[in-house]
Amino acid sequence: MAIDKMEQSLRPPQLDLKPFPAKIITLANGEEMVVREVKREEVGVLLGTIQPLMGVQKDFYDIVASRMYAEILGWFEYRVANEFVLVGAINGEIAGIVNSRLIDGKTGMSYHTMTIKRGLRIGAQLFAAKMEHHIDILGNDEVHIVAESPNGFKRWMIEYALEDRSSRYPALHHELGGVPTFTLTRELWERVKADKCTGTRPVSPEKLATADKLKMPSEYPQIPGFKRG
Amino acid sequence: MRNVSIVGIGHTVFGNLSDFDLVDVMAFASGNALDDAGIREDRKIIEQVFVANMGGGIINHQTGIASSLVSRMDMEPAMAELVENGPASGASAVKLGYMAIASGMVDVVMVTGGELMRSVTGWEGTDFVASLLHPEAEYNYGLTLPAYGGMFTRIYMERYGLTERDLGLIAVKDHQNGAKNPFAHVRVPCTIEAIHDSENAHVINNYVAEPLRMYGMCPVSDGAASLILCAEDSPKMKYFTKQTPIRITGIGSATDTHCVHNRKDPLVLDAVRLAAERAYAMAGLKAEDISFAELHDAFVILELAISEEVGFFERGKSAEALRNGVTAIDGAKPINTSGGLKSKGHPVGATGVSQVFELVKQLRGQAEKEGRQVKNAKHGMAVNFGGFGNNVVAVICSRRDA
Amino acid sequence: MIDFSAYGVKTPEVKAVKCPSCGKLHYPAPMICNKCGERRDPSGVIFKHWETVSLSGECTLLAWTRVYALPDGLDMQYLLFGIVEFPNGLRASGRLEVDQPVTGMKVNARAETMDNSKGKEFDGLIFGDL
Repeated sequence: MAIDKMEQSLRPPQLDLKPFPAKIITLANGEEMVVREVKREEVGVLLGTIQPLMGVQKDFYDIVASRMYAEILGWFEYRVANEFVLVGAINGEIAGIVNSRLIDGKTGMSYHTMTIKRGLRIGAQLFAAKMEHHIDILGNDEVHIVAESPNGFKRWMIEYALEDRSSRYPALHHELGGVPTFTLTRELWERVKADKCTGTRPVSPEKLATADKLKMPSEYPQIPGFKRG
Repeated sequence: MRNVSIVGIGHTVFGNLSDFDLVDVMAFASGNALDDAGIREDRKIIEQVFVANMGGGIINHQTGIASSLVSRMDMEPAMAELVENGPASGASAVKLGYMAIASGMVDVVMVTGGELMRSVTGWEGTDFVASLLHPEAEYNYGLTLPAYGGMFTRIYMERYGLTERDLGLIAVKDHQNGAKNPFAHVRVPCTIEAIHDSENAHVINNYVAEPLRMYGMCPVSDGAASLILCAEDSPKMKYFTKQTPIRITGIGSATDTHCVHNRKDPLVLDAVRLAAERAYAMAGLKAEDISFAELHDAFVILELAISEEVGFFERGKSAEALRNGVTAIDGAKPINTSGGLKSKGHPVGATGVSQVFELVKQLRGQAEKEGRQVKNAKHGMAVNFGGFGNNVVAVICSRRDA
Repeated sequence: MIDFSAYGVKTPEVKAVKCPSCGKLHYPAPMICNKCGERRDPSGVIFKHWETVSLSGECTLLAWTRVYALPDGLDMQYLLFGIVEFPNGLRASGRLEVDQPVTGMKVNARAETMDNSKGKEFDGLIFGDL
């Protein structure tokens, strides 16, 4: 598609982001989850994965799904600057998705964490991978964090001992609704990393190949009796 | 004393039922027990209802739960009382049901235990259970049940050479059983490679109360279970032709110091041993006569410690039995065939009733179709552990032809 | 009689009690002595007064754990807890502030005023390095 002047002016300037090196995590049930960065051309399968959860009110799945859908669409259509999306896939089937963006080379703005397969702490692993990408790989000094679900937020807040930056509100606020933000600093990350972040690298080509072609989940624990129509 | 049999059993799925009402959940399990017993139409023959629940007043802001349940199930004018004995409320209610019949006061009793703990956050749930600790000398500090589970585990490991891998093996066994139990909360099997051996294990299976990890603790669950008890010498036994009656042959309970630190040897669970001894004496049975057991593994270490205290294994030797598969379903002494609290879940008020539900299911031979039937099950034992071992109830159920 | 000490600056203290009949020490305070059966009357009106004994100083760490499952209201990553034994034979639970705890090590117990998970103040024991 030719990019006309108008379209050009609608697109945000983009930083050149280092790629996230894929890793593999053995989950408690013995299954292996490949965590890797999503390519732009894979957005369709992601949106299809997220869409059914937009109607699930429990645990704020509806708002997380709706916002994440829009954020990923925004990334695809060049309407969000410096966004990245990581996916956890078990035998190619999407088990969870996280997304985030960079404000500049030093500051991250964490967006969402969505777990589809539950009971295996997949959300915790993917959230940790997201923070790993921000701080260890992209070299950010800090990441701003909030969450829609009080449970989820409290978990990050307590487990990561996030710094409360709400005293700097509204000058400093999170993009998700302009709420006072909590922040993970490099120092805090170094303190919890060993207990929170895992995964084996490099991933063998055979194992990486299992996640080559991402598949939408065939079932959702959040939606009993789900059938993909 | 009169012989008392269990003539009906009911259960709800354990898990997150926070969308439902506490009494509805209990009533659903009760309805399942009525149907199992075949007395839905004749439910008014039940003269007495005991309801086991620990936290309705605190976490669900509901009181008068027993009367509410009777009314919801259209079982008036049955007598009804609530039984609260911490996480052993369930087996205590079974015990009181037994006593009501054995005394001759009534012939037919319903015992229903239930809990909704997921309607509050995990932190609030932990706080609610911790309210059973000594207010001044324990609770104030922020001590929780997992804290005592952790300390107990460490001393046990240091004294008997138990390893973290052994703890993992208990979880693997329990999850294997729970995966086959349609009512279990966590029906996902786990592997020892993943939760212990792999280089990712320390993060996947994180510490909760060192040295106990996530796969060393039960989940926080909602759910209910229900039993119907009848005097074998009662003419009302004629209503119960649908199922094989299973006899309650022994019940015992005992208490221990409220503060854990005041026990002479912190690894000796006097209340467990005494409860079991009393139950054995009543049943005229010994530890070796028990075919299988449901032991209160809120923390996996308790499965080992209780199995030693009730006489299945020598002190410090239960881990060896575990490693050798003795406690697996096809082993010589299967333990926690339902998945235990670890995998089936632990809605505190429901647990003791649910343990007896499993005994009955196995003794009737009905676990067969779920692929987890104990062969030649004659006598089953349940140990329901209240507080950190300060109020423990043991129940033995037997086939009547055993 | 008015207890004027209640208006002074309070020093944090964790108190054990001593049975006035047989001298046995107890913590926490029971309502009956498990050695001689003497009853305790918290109001001090009906039965003999039980004198209190401060718990602090050197003691032995019998058990410890680092807990991440904390009650609502204690919003920290983890807390360390321990059970200790004092030279007088009394045992107590409390918070532990030792970098590298080892079962059997000697620690120092001190009383401090702290908040419980509901924000209520209480005097409790902290076991630290000697």
